This record gives sequence, C-alpha cells and structure tokens, in this order.
Amino acid sequence: MASAQELSDFLSSVEQRAFKQAVYAVRDDDAALDIVQDAMIKLAEKYADRPAAELPLVFTRILQNRIHDWFRRQKVRNTWVTLFSSMGKKTDESDDFDPLESLSAPDDSEIHQDGSQKLEQSQLLQALESEISKLPVRQREAFLMRYWDELSITETAKAMSCSEGSVKTHCSRATQTLAKALKLKGITL
Amino acid sequence: MKHFDEPFNTTQADQFGRASAALLRQGTQSLSPAIKDRLYAARMKALSLRKPEKVRVQKPVFAGAAGNWSSGSNNVWGTLGWIAPLVVLVFGLIGIAHWQDESRINDIAEVDAALLADDVPPDAYADSGFMAFLKNGPLSDSDDSSAQLTPSK
Repeated sequence: MASAQELSDFLSSVEQRAFKQAVYAVRDDDAALDIVQDAMIKLAEKYADRPAAELPLVFTRILQNRIHDWFRRQKVRNTWVTLFSSMGKKTDESDDFDPLESLSAPDDSEIHQDGSQKLEQSQLLQALESEISKLPVRQREAFLMRYWDELSITETAKAMSCSEGSVKTHCSRATQTLAKALKLKGITL
Repeated sequence: MKHFDEPFNTTQADQFGRASAALLRQGTQSLSPAIKDRLYAARMKALSLRKPEKVRVQKPVFAGAAGNWSSGSNNVWGTLGWIAPLVVLVFGLIGIAHWQDESRINDIAEVDAALLADDVPPDAYADSGFMAFLKNGPLSDSDDSSAQLTPSK
C-alpha cells in the first residue's frame, strides 16, 4: 500500500504533466485544472491502497476517463444550449437576441490560444504542443502515454482498453503526423 | 536528413517520440505560478481525502504451547468465534426439548398414579354415564353443599 508520502510524491511528480495533457485535450486551462483535481481526488479516495508501482497506470487511466467525461458533458451542454437558443428565437422573435452571443468561440481559435497560453515557451515547444492538440484523440492519448508517461505498450493498451497492435498503430500514425507537420514549419526533431 | 514522407520504422518513431517528450517536459517547467498554486491546492485537497490506512489490531497471544498454535493461526479464532455460539445454541435447544419431554412424562405418571390409587376403578372414567354423573351430580355443585349436609328425608 502506498504511504501518504509516496502518494504525495507521486502526485507532485505527475501533476504538471497531467495538466498539460488535459490542456492538449480540452484546450482550456480551468477545465484542465478541474480535471486534474478530480483525477487526483479519485486516486486518493479510491486507489490509495494500491502499491506505489501501480499508481502511474491507475492515475493515467483515471485522467483519461475524466477527460472523456468532460467531453461527454460538453456535448450534452451544447445540445441543450442549442435547443434553448432555437426555442427562444421561435417564441420571441421581436427581441434583439443574438444566438452568436451565447456561443463560445471555438477552442482552437487564435483568440483562445492567445488568452489561455500565458506560458512563456519556446517557438518550438509551442509548435509541437499545437500539433499535438490537433492529433486525433486516440493517437494523442497513445503518443503521450507511450512517450511522455513512459508506459510500455502493454500498459498503454491496458490504460486505453485496446489491443497492443492498436497502440502501435496509433503511436506510429501520431509520430508520422507530427513529424510531417513540424517539417512543414521547418522544424526537425 | 530525414524524409518524413516515408513511414517511420519503429526505431525512428521511438526516437521522435522521446525527443518530443523531452521537449514537452521542458514545457512543464514554464507553467505560470498561478497554475502551479492551483495544482498544489488540488494535490493537498486530494491528500486530505486520502483513504485511511487499515489499522491492524493485535490479537491476544496466550502463553504456553497453546499460545503458539493460537497466535500462529488467526483463522482458528475467527472460525471459533461463530462456531462456538452455534454449538451452544444447538445443545441448549436439545436440553430444553429433553426437559420438556421429562416434564410431560412426569405429569402423565402422576395422573396414572392418582387414577390407580383412587377408589374409583379406572374403567369408570371411560364410562360416559359416570362422566355425566360427575358433571351433573350433587358432588359437582358447590351451591348444594348445604343440602349435602342436610340429612335426606
């Protein structure tokens, strides 16, 4: 069983990386912080009795589940917002209601990126992070778990609930896509 | 120079992945203090909600040879803990049933002894006329006690 100190050290070592991974997925700092906090609390409440060696894999899985939950909630919320927006327009057409006011700007817009990215990073890092954010979800998850979290192929497959072959395919496609995108910007790693 | 139009092999993909990860790790160092503070607060909150460790209760250890046996096998006490009351309950029920049987037999024996020792023969109780006599006869009416004392004319 992981002691309190071991759990604290683990969370300390993983929190910034988890935050960045959440930001790549949801592209919003506040939402990413909430996701990381939820994942930390879930780990501490439910899985603190696990051996310290198992914590990275468990935490990675919890984090990914929290990110997926966030996307599900966003989908439901957007559905209701769209529904009520259209209803309001039908019932009261004389109002100066502008549906565009209720719509948030797309997450990948330049405005959002400029607002949320107050991090002083190099041009190379920004380019890489930008391209990682554009990757398909599964490819990004596999790439980050495999290379940043340094999970093995077996562990990554377990965390993603897929086969090892799928992990290899996702990683290969992700690296290929990133390399091509960076090459177009004149960057070679 | 690498040709990225060609597919990576596994080694190239791993190299690219590791190089990317190294770059990403550097990026985490430049997080703003506000975000670091919020992550720290989140970590403290999570640690405060940590599931408490299970406290191991020491079982009593008896001295002597039996002590070694009992302390070495914790399951024995656990098993005895629920078997012993069950055994006591079963033996208690058997004792109560036996005591009730003895009591009933004693009651019947007393009745039999009273019948045999009585002046009236036991066959008389099987006679319906005798039972009616006892029920309706002068001996059954307590109100007629004075009449019984009065000599008959």
